[in-house]
Amino acid sequence: MIMAMATSEIVTMQDGSSIVVLDEALLRLEGITKLFAGRSALSDVRFSVTGNEYISLLGPSGSGKTTLLRAIAGFETPDSGRIFFEGADVTRKPAHRRGIGFVFQNFALFPHLSVFDNVAFGLRNRAEPFPEDVVLSRVKETIDLVGLKGLERRGVHQISGGQKQRVALARTLVTKPKLVLLDEPLGALDANLRQRMRTELRRIREALDIPFLHVTGSETEALSMGDRLIVLDAGRIGQYGKPDEVYASPATANVARFLNRYNVFAGTIENDGFTTKYGRFDYGTRTPASERAYAIRYDRLSVTPSGGAAPAKLAASYVASEYLGSAMVHFFETADGKVVEVEHHLSFGPPEAFEPGRSYDLSWNPQDGIAFG
Amino acid sequence: MTLVTSTSAEVDVGAPASNERGSLSAYVLLAPAVIWMTLFLVVPMAMIIYVSFWTQTTFKIEPRLTLDSWQTFFSSDAYLSSLWTTLRIWLIVLVTTFVVGYPTAIYVGLFVRNKTLQTSLLVLCVIPFWTSFLIRVLAWRPMLGKEGAINIILMKAGIITQPIEALLFTDLSVVIGMTQIYVVFMVGPIAFMLGRIDPNILEAARDLGADFWRILRKIIFPLSLPGVVVGAIFVSVMVLGEFATSAALSGRKVNLLGNIIVTQVGSLKWALASVVGVILTAIMALVIAGLLRVVDLKKEL
Repeated sequence: MIMAMATSEIVTMQDGSSIVVLDEALLRLEGITKLFAGRSALSDVRFSVTGNEYISLLGPSGSGKTTLLRAIAGFETPDSGRIFFEGADVTRKPAHRRGIGFVFQNFALFPHLSVFDNVAFGLRNRAEPFPEDVVLSRVKETIDLVGLKGLERRGVHQISGGQKQRVALARTLVTKPKLVLLDEPLGALDANLRQRMRTELRRIREALDIPFLHVTGSETEALSMGDRLIVLDAGRIGQYGKPDEVYASPATANVARFLNRYNVFAGTIENDGFTTKYGRFDYGTRTPASERAYAIRYDRLSVTPSGGAAPAKLAASYVASEYLGSAMVHFFETADGKVVEVEHHLSFGPPEAFEPGRSYDLSWNPQDGIAFG
Repeated sequence: MTLVTSTSAEVDVGAPASNERGSLSAYVLLAPAVIWMTLFLVVPMAMIIYVSFWTQTTFKIEPRLTLDSWQTFFSSDAYLSSLWTTLRIWLIVLVTTFVVGYPTAIYVGLFVRNKTLQTSLLVLCVIPFWTSFLIRVLAWRPMLGKEGAINIILMKAGIITQPIEALLFTDLSVVIGMTQIYVVFMVGPIAFMLGRIDPNILEAARDLGADFWRILRKIIFPLSLPGVVVGAIFVSVMVLGEFATSAALSGRKVNLLGNIIVTQVGSLKWALASVVGVILTAIMALVIAGLLRVVDLKKEL
């Protein structure tokens, strides 16, 4: 697990004065805090973006992810904390002078302009507009890059959702930003298109070689797109790392919940086991965290008839199943109403048929269990 | 398979019948509007045009067709100058209502994002309409008069030593009066259009480096244009047909086409009144047609 930390150092010079040596980070956030109507939307957010990577920022609704993105873009001023971009403090710098591009959730295209004029807007209307021949060549280049060739003269009402998404992206990219922020860019698209745009976004990012910071509420999107994944939990950074690391070893119970792949049980921890109201389970990993919980992945559970002798198991009655194509998700319910999910990959054989309402044992290898606390 | 064929056959038979029923009910639904428009718009318009060609003698009017009344209008300097005055006052009021109304609408529709406050501000604009039209017009007299409020304040403040007499009973007083009365019809539609602009669009424009004036020119104004056109139509129709404001605030020095109609009808000169009515209606039709060419309202609203 990689924790996000401010990496600047204060070096004391020989004459006693001290200077701040800035790190290589392109973007660095130091203790960003923002209150909305007395409720904290962001509290002490700190992380830095170094390489040219695709970074996903995952958070459930209300976790402050849009607020964080807007603060980085310059649409919101944090109540405290500082934002460094390219080594300079930009906390109070207006949005358009930061060199950070922003792609809005609902695209926010200019409804009265054509595709070409939408993309050209930033070049023509900045403080020192570019000459028209530069505008022409740069817009053409960007339109080709995002795959909108042939649609230049169309009005933005005459194109599809996916094409609007590309216009929104092109409009930002044409200004040559050094970092692109995307606020739930795929949220307004249908599932099929979303899948295609994921690959497209990654291809475009690689062609430009600048970091993209992509905010999303979808864990599959965050995991599949990001070279790196930031999980935001109630206005704080829950975890920052490579998607597979976050997936395999979530840092907190909430991160495990947001990944939507873990059954999480509350309880108390001792040295050799974790006690929940469903029984006492051994664990393979112990992660220090403030919230005590026991997490086990959906696909690590297996269903056996009641009364078996597995080292870690709990009793639950079968409710229903959901077919996902490559896998089957079975929903079980414990006696006190907690839903436990079991995922069965169909490559391991056809799914078993369970009888609704009947009690089964859900068992797992204790080595797969993660204990928080 | 048989089932499918029989169902589709049924649909085929059913379709023309329901179509006929549909078109019949469409006519029935259309009828009230058509009857209303015919009775209260087409017939009266035709009557006015017809009467404008009648023969007018001192005491009566006869349905003998003649061009006399039209010749009287176009050969009289007084009538022609009132035509130019009407057009001049209309254009000036159109400009002043826009100049005063647009910034007001920008404030209400764009800067006030709180819906309740927005509605309250618009209601505030409408409150003057709770009093009678004449009272609103006449209230300008004690404001603008030689010993009126504005002159007293300016003199007390030492800005002027002599009262400004040009304030009342001039073109200026008519323009001031009309602007105050009609500006709200400009503010309303513009504020409505501005209120529909997605704030993200303005943020996006800002992020792309455009300053406020560029955003105003390139984004806000084009998007509010349908509101400007609707407001301009409201103001135009009302100002072109005006007679009360000019009668009350110009001391009968400013004669609009509307004033001529009032005088002619008063002295039972129906034919000449009809001529002026036809001319006024034609001007309004031209103005509205011209304004509608600026934007495609059906598409924009």
